[in-house]
Amino acid sequence: MSSPFIRIRGLQKHYQMGGVTVRALDGVDIDIPRQTFTVVMGPSGSGKSTLLYLLGGLDRPTGGQIEFDGQRLDEMDENQLALFRRKAVGFIFQSYNLIQSMNAAENVGFPMQFAGFSPKERAARSLDLLARVSLGDRSLHRPSELSGGQQQRVAIARSLVNEPSLILADEPTGNLDTASGAGIMQLLSDLHKSGRTVLVVSHDPRMVRFATHKIFLLDGRVVSENEYHAASLE
Amino acid sequence: MGAEKGKSILKFLDLLRLVLGNLNRRKGRVALTAIGVVIGTAAVIILVSLAIGLQRNANEQLYGIGDLTQIQVSPTYGEGFHGGGGGPVMVGGGGGGGGAQAPKLLTTHALKELRAIPGVAAVIPRDYLWASLMVKYKRLEGSANLIGIGTNDLSDLGLEAGQGSLTLKRGTIIIGPQVAANFYDPRLRPGQEPPKPPDLYNQQLTFVFIKWDREGNEIRKTVTYQVVGVLTETLGENDWSILMRLDDVKALNEWAQGRRINYNKDGYSQVIVEVDKVDNVLAVNDAITALGFQAYTPLSFVQGINNFFVILQFIFGGVGAIALLVAAIGIANTMTMAILERTREIGLMKAIGATNRNVLAIFLGEAAGIGFIGGLGGVLIGWLAGQGLNVLAIVYLASQAAQQGGIPLSVAVYTPLWLLVFALVFATLIGLLSGLYPALRAATMVPVNALKYE
Repeated sequence: MSSPFIRIRGLQKHYQMGGVTVRALDGVDIDIPRQTFTVVMGPSGSGKSTLLYLLGGLDRPTGGQIEFDGQRLDEMDENQLALFRRKAVGFIFQSYNLIQSMNAAENVGFPMQFAGFSPKERAARSLDLLARVSLGDRSLHRPSELSGGQQQRVAIARSLVNEPSLILADEPTGNLDTASGAGIMQLLSDLHKSGRTVLVVSHDPRMVRFATHKIFLLDGRVVSENEYHAASLE
Repeated sequence: MGAEKGKSILKFLDLLRLVLGNLNRRKGRVALTAIGVVIGTAAVIILVSLAIGLQRNANEQLYGIGDLTQIQVSPTYGEGFHGGGGGPVMVGGGGGGGGAQAPKLLTTHALKELRAIPGVAAVIPRDYLWASLMVKYKRLEGSANLIGIGTNDLSDLGLEAGQGSLTLKRGTIIIGPQVAANFYDPRLRPGQEPPKPPDLYNQQLTFVFIKWDREGNEIRKTVTYQVVGVLTETLGENDWSILMRLDDVKALNEWAQGRRINYNKDGYSQVIVEVDKVDNVLAVNDAITALGFQAYTPLSFVQGINNFFVILQFIFGGVGAIALLVAAIGIANTMTMAILERTREIGLMKAIGATNRNVLAIFLGEAAGIGFIGGLGGVLIGWLAGQGLNVLAIVYLASQAAQQGGIPLSVAVYTPLWLLVFALVFATLIGLLSGLYPALRAATMVPVNALKYE
């Protein structure tokens, strides 16, 4: 493996909050190889969600570099970032972020609309993906008619619709009960096994079982597993 | 599966589908906001239609003033001119003074000057009868305005024949369509049904000319004329007039005044200048005035009236536009609310690959959509209301016209197609503009902040 799939160097993200500078990320170096399952762990406020959003091009770093498959995200303009998110990344959120007035199939096909696919193509692909997350019979249900686990599976199907190489999940099991959460973890693991690079932000310890790589964050810095456990015991 | 596509602009149909879907989600609020636009658009249409209707009516009446390519030219006399007297009297002695008050008569030489003005197609002298006239037909008596025309072919004046011909020969006359209505039966007793106006075409009319000598004795002269044509209605002076050859009228005036009339010296009492096209009328009119004659064209009057109505249309349209402005604020308000409520949705759209332009297009589309829906409703309601007003007004005014005489209106409110199209486009544009600020805000949101918005 010559250069890693994702290469992060000196990444910084600072916010101004009530006159105080918050260093959400303060000089982070990470390499993520292709087709790995990375779990980012850390207490709330450690900067793990910030890392995920920066990696997905939803936010801009204050400093440092993010290289994705040879492209510098930190140097892209708004339009290039939008196209990057459209083609390369699939997002999964803690609160699903489904559109309430659309049924499951429409939600799954929504990203394809911006990519210019025909309604026919969208419908075919949405139904196919819903079947893959075992919701083939729920395609016409609206989010309010689905359980939390089912909604998250719709969201996973949506994240796959433009065939991204990177899946980013922000606390995907955070709002789910244990059984549903396990199902979602299994699905994410399957995505990894089918050749995608998956990065999950989570503090669910069960997620670690699926991980090929682990990143520990404390106060905006990457720490070793030992340091992390030592700190969390204090 | 289609190849991966990387365009940053939504296809129009996709955008339309998205916008309609979004509007459909909020039917109630969209409808309430659109009602404001409906009222504004309908107000613009009704008020402007009313102004246009008024203008049309005025023009219908105004075209009766005469052919718009004609200029009436009268001589300029010095002060102290006596109606049928012995020619002009100079006062003030400034013979070579020039100026507007210098006498300028319509002599045969002056007619040549008029003919030389560029754009003049014909110069036709006219003269009125300087005596009293009573016209008899069988047992009916009537009166009419007798005009001598300096051409044998009345089509030179743009007149048309309803019956018979337009060619005047010695001893014949052509009458206006209303002349017959002026005949009455002098032996009719009060309360008796008046006779119907006679058909005078091809009939012999007996003219009794009356003058008085210096002692006040009445002198009569009776001549019979053949009616060879009846003109179509022009709503002008000719409708009530009897037209005769100028030579015949000159002979009658010489009899009435007891002296010879020399047009080379005394000039004609009036000349009609026919201009080749309407566009040249005002220039020719100015040229005639510059020569020192009095010139009158109905065109300047008609144009003044038209200018007034254009201003009226703008004022009425402006009043309606105020209603539209209020509606625009409603749209801006609705869109601002929608963007606050849908902040997370905007964040999601960006996360799944919507560009800023996509988001802008969607929200602008929604705002324009509200404007369009409201505009459509307003156009429909405005048009229907105009039609309703028309029916009411025409029925009312027709009954008024029947009672009091006059020409009934053909329309009260006139809605041209361009107004409907304009109103619809304008309402859509208003929606678009109202949505501009909210849509820009939506488009420029930082995606991560929008996603975290509670």
